[in-house]
Amino acid sequence: MICKTEVCTDRRNKLKAITHHPYFGFFVITLLMLFVQFLRVVGVDIPNTLIRSFGITMIYIIVALGFSILLGYAGLASLGTAGFVGIGTYVLGYFTKNLELSIFLAIAVSIAGAIILGGIVGFISLRIEGMYLAIITLGLSEILNEVFKNAVNITNGTNGLGLDYSLVIFSKPIIVNHNTIFVFAAVVMFIMMILTLNIIKSPTGRAFLAMRNSTSAAQAMGVSILKYRLMAFIVSTVYALLGGIIYMSYISFSIPTTWNLAFSLNILAAVIVGGSQSIYGIVLGTFMIFGLNLGIFQQIPLFQENPAISVIFNGLLIVLVIMFYPGGLIRLVNKTYLKLKVFSKKLYQKWRVYRYGTDN
Amino acid sequence: MFGQQISSNGVEQMFDTKGYWNDVFLFVLALAVIFILLKIFVFKLFKNRDRAQSITINIMVALGIIFLIYRVYVMLDQGLPEVISAQDFLFRNIFNQTLQISVLALATTGIVLIFKTSTTTNFAQGMIATFGAFVAAKIIQRFAAAYPEMTVLNSVLLAMAGGAIVAFVLGMFIDVVIIRNSKDKTPVGKQMITMGLVLILSGAMPVIFGKVALPIQKMSYDPNIEFNFLGSPISITVHAYYTFLITVGLIAILFAALRFTKWGLGVRATASNEVVAGMMGVNTRIITAMSWAIAGLLGAVAAVVLTPNITNVSVAMMTPTQVNAFMAAILGSFSSFAGPLVASAIIPILTSLFSLVVPLWQNAIVYLVILAIVLVKPVGLFGKKVAKKV
Amino acid sequence: MVPIIEKLVLPVAIPIYERLVNSLKTRISFNQELLPIKIENLEKNAEKKLKFLKLKHQEKLLPYEIKAGVESEYLQEKYQFELAKIEDKYYWKNRIVKARAARKGIDANQDLEMLEKSKQNELAGLKAFYYPKDKDIKSYEEAKEVLDNEYREKVAQINQKLVQDIEKNQTLTQNKIEKYKKSLKIFEKRLAIYTAKKKAKYQIDDNTVLSIEGLSMYFGGLKAVDDLSFDVKEGEIFGLIGPNGAGKTTVFNCITRFYKPTMGEMYFKNAYDEVVFLNNKKVHNIIKEGIVRTFQNVEVVWELNIIDNLLVAAHTLYRSSFFGHMFNSKLLRQEERVMRKKAEKILEDLGLSAYKFAYPLGLPYGILKKIELARTLMANPKLIILDEPAAGLNEAETKDLAEVIKKIRSEYEATIFLVEHDMGLVMSICDTVCAISFGKKLAMGTPKEIQNNKTVQQAYLGGE
Repeated sequence: MICKTEVCTDRRNKLKAITHHPYFGFFVITLLMLFVQFLRVVGVDIPNTLIRSFGITMIYIIVALGFSILLGYAGLASLGTAGFVGIGTYVLGYFTKNLELSIFLAIAVSIAGAIILGGIVGFISLRIEGMYLAIITLGLSEILNEVFKNAVNITNGTNGLGLDYSLVIFSKPIIVNHNTIFVFAAVVMFIMMILTLNIIKSPTGRAFLAMRNSTSAAQAMGVSILKYRLMAFIVSTVYALLGGIIYMSYISFSIPTTWNLAFSLNILAAVIVGGSQSIYGIVLGTFMIFGLNLGIFQQIPLFQENPAISVIFNGLLIVLVIMFYPGGLIRLVNKTYLKLKVFSKKLYQKWRVYRYGTDN
Repeated sequence: MFGQQISSNGVEQMFDTKGYWNDVFLFVLALAVIFILLKIFVFKLFKNRDRAQSITINIMVALGIIFLIYRVYVMLDQGLPEVISAQDFLFRNIFNQTLQISVLALATTGIVLIFKTSTTTNFAQGMIATFGAFVAAKIIQRFAAAYPEMTVLNSVLLAMAGGAIVAFVLGMFIDVVIIRNSKDKTPVGKQMITMGLVLILSGAMPVIFGKVALPIQKMSYDPNIEFNFLGSPISITVHAYYTFLITVGLIAILFAALRFTKWGLGVRATASNEVVAGMMGVNTRIITAMSWAIAGLLGAVAAVVLTPNITNVSVAMMTPTQVNAFMAAILGSFSSFAGPLVASAIIPILTSLFSLVVPLWQNAIVYLVILAIVLVKPVGLFGKKVAKKV
Repeated sequence: MVPIIEKLVLPVAIPIYERLVNSLKTRISFNQELLPIKIENLEKNAEKKLKFLKLKHQEKLLPYEIKAGVESEYLQEKYQFELAKIEDKYYWKNRIVKARAARKGIDANQDLEMLEKSKQNELAGLKAFYYPKDKDIKSYEEAKEVLDNEYREKVAQINQKLVQDIEKNQTLTQNKIEKYKKSLKIFEKRLAIYTAKKKAKYQIDDNTVLSIEGLSMYFGGLKAVDDLSFDVKEGEIFGLIGPNGAGKTTVFNCITRFYKPTMGEMYFKNAYDEVVFLNNKKVHNIIKEGIVRTFQNVEVVWELNIIDNLLVAAHTLYRSSFFGHMFNSKLLRQEERVMRKKAEKILEDLGLSAYKFAYPLGLPYGILKKIELARTLMANPKLIILDEPAAGLNEAETKDLAEVIKKIRSEYEATIFLVEHDMGLVMSICDTVCAISFGKKLAMGTPKEIQNNKTVQQAYLGGE
């Protein structure tokens, strides 16, 4: 009973082309995030903490995307993420406060810095294999944490560094506040998701996977391990620094205790729990690890009194996912979705028999 | 030069003293020259390239440490008030690290043991150890009231035993129940499981043991042990002395077990090739479970003796030690037991020496030194390169 | 040119010119391959447009046809279609009624009759609509003329545009290629002058493609390969045999630069017909010279499907940069199309088209080995090194493999270097066989010669 003419089929295909387009899902996700903000602007009373949790989750999605390129595709474990995001926040704070430069210059500088930092860690990764690399980057993160605490001239030490909005954008009189930065963060998240997908599907992404599976085979096919390891680290560091800059714009405050080992582990958890090779997995994982915690758990008295419970929850997630769903929860979601499709088809058949009777 | 007085609060921060950048530059220059000279000389002596490289690096590190000690000595000599001699101060500083060295040795051995038998870097080592320390603290709390006549030493030892047993069981539990049943048994997967365990344990401990502060007292409040080392009077706390004895004892037992018992043979076999060891009749399951258990025990002992320095048992108590333990394992190479022990002596001494020279940044500098060494010799100071077949 | 300046300029100029020449050649071939794909796309789009145009035209004409009573094909089709729709609709309504009656246990005949009546009504109405009584032919003929002209115009427009587009693309590509060819000629002339001045760095026999001299690989005290020398002629299938541990794997690991040989020189005539000294090359650059290899333990990328696995091997042929990949640039999209077509052709040649979008996990071992083989063909290889390709294959599969290897040799004009234990395979397809043992060369010659050689028999084949 569906229209099968040329015109009908053609229109249907055009619609399919849009909804099945790889970027469409990202668009929907971004719209959903913006919807919350839209409700707030329109006047619906949404608690501040919920909006904030969405905002922070979006920012951490950006960081997690970079991390997933490193872990899920290039197969390199690095626990230095916390340090890099922290550097991003302090770069923005320091530049706008002390050097009075605009945010765009700060972004440019941090990208340059990310290239250098990522390059350094990349070179280190060539000498040091897998598990040792995790430990070395762990040490790096701890050292960066100490640097944040000690280099009081730049980071204001344990008191935290604040951001003065009036200094951030100097040309146009754009109203810069939490709401606008929220939209900005959502747009950046959307763009990064698209860019990440492009990288994954491109020859570079395939080279990463080849390198991950077997360095010898990859080299025999022309993939230079040096070049691609460097590239993976630089890309992921750029994502982390970018996330740091947007974090600083949104929260307008950065304190060293945020950027510690626990944060790196949480990002790792988000990527592993969600699914290290799928962008939707990253979104899911980040929501489960950060979003749930910030948005929902912290409103429940049980969690407020025992903040350790959400930590246990996250740890339990990691262990259970690795034990039983090594591909990440997104695989579970996909399987469930397929099963739902099959189930609903069966249900539909049953309804048809009810309504139309059987063929006699 | 470095400031007039060397005392913990009188030293100025790195950003203000610019005078010693010259020293650093000269030092690095000297390092480079010595390195090149050594390379030429040693490589002529030893035909085996890897062995020559290894010896060069080891000599460089030893020279570096000696030079650093000398430098600090000179600096102290000029900066200290007349009351203390530089040598005394220096040696006292080094021997003050005894407790740290012992704790680090225990922690590192645990990590290397687990790595050798199940190719996992156990990030949860510190948490398991802290768990044992909490148990020990609880035991002291309960028993201290019930049996006031027990000597301090005995009560601490009893608590330590209790905590060690619990950590032993916990370690075994983790291996048998969690890791054995996991679908993803790759080293990276197991590493991630330990990271998850870190979170679980760090969250569970405050819930289980409550938020009340739990102190463990030192093993002895007797007056310090005084002796003479190369003419300098050294005083070590009895607590550190006992710790040192316990550490040496435990590690000696472990080494003996590795060399002379069947279990030890099994560990060495599993460490070199798990699959083949299994085929030769080694029960790799028991070996791995026992390794995890013993590592837990060692960690708990380390945590218990560490507590009196930190006053109360807290969740993050073992984190710095654990990070250092990993550094020691990398520096000394995962593939031997003796290497990490040497490294766990080097790291605290280096850190304390650097804290005299560049306070606040000593951890960063030590990390950079370790990084430099590991970059030049990725397998660690005492490690061997393993060639892989393509 | 003054000799001193020559000495300074040549080492710099020659590589630059070489690179320019190579890049131009790649661009020419890329554009040549891209053109048919573009034309195909244009034709497909034009076809689609024409189809819809025709449909629209017919739709426009329809009311007039109905009024005029002209029974064109389209009218009949549409009438049948609407008829079928009505029949369909009442069929399902029928079934609803029957099912409801069956559920409630009541009699349905009345409802069914009513249904039948309304169906007849509708059918009548439909007929009346499509075949009305009064006919108006004049307006139909007028309208038909106008619409037909319009249609013809538009069709002509589209076809013209198509031809124009195709021509435009062709001329553009032609111009590009001409431009490249012109510069190519200039650069090649220049290069020829310089290379003539510069004494040929490395010499190699005329029809030899790979020349190994005095190759030795010592692992500490163990001499894995000891003073091995041989030549591989162009276009032949060369077999390297020897007992286990003889050093066969070490030999080609040295050739492909996974190991750095302790001593010895390796010369290779690469894809650009120039003799290179392999000892300086880095592992990941070997494929650019034209040497590819397969792996004994099948090394595929498990996360990618088969055709993507083939595309990995073409990695060095992509010109787009990382930023191009990140922003999905036009060049990347074009390159992907060209490479995918190439991969599809190779899969077809080897009979693997059915597995195009399959994932390697779970595929039979023989198929995976074939995929490895297909992968090597993507990079336009000059020399293909096969590492025990028949390992794990039964007799029938081995015979099939022999055919495939011979086919590859002739169709892709590649030299094959075979390291193998399966004597049947070696003796049947190899032109030259070299036998080694404990790293030393025992003998080299045709399969028959090797079979009859006493030393080889002793060491390997069982001895007398």
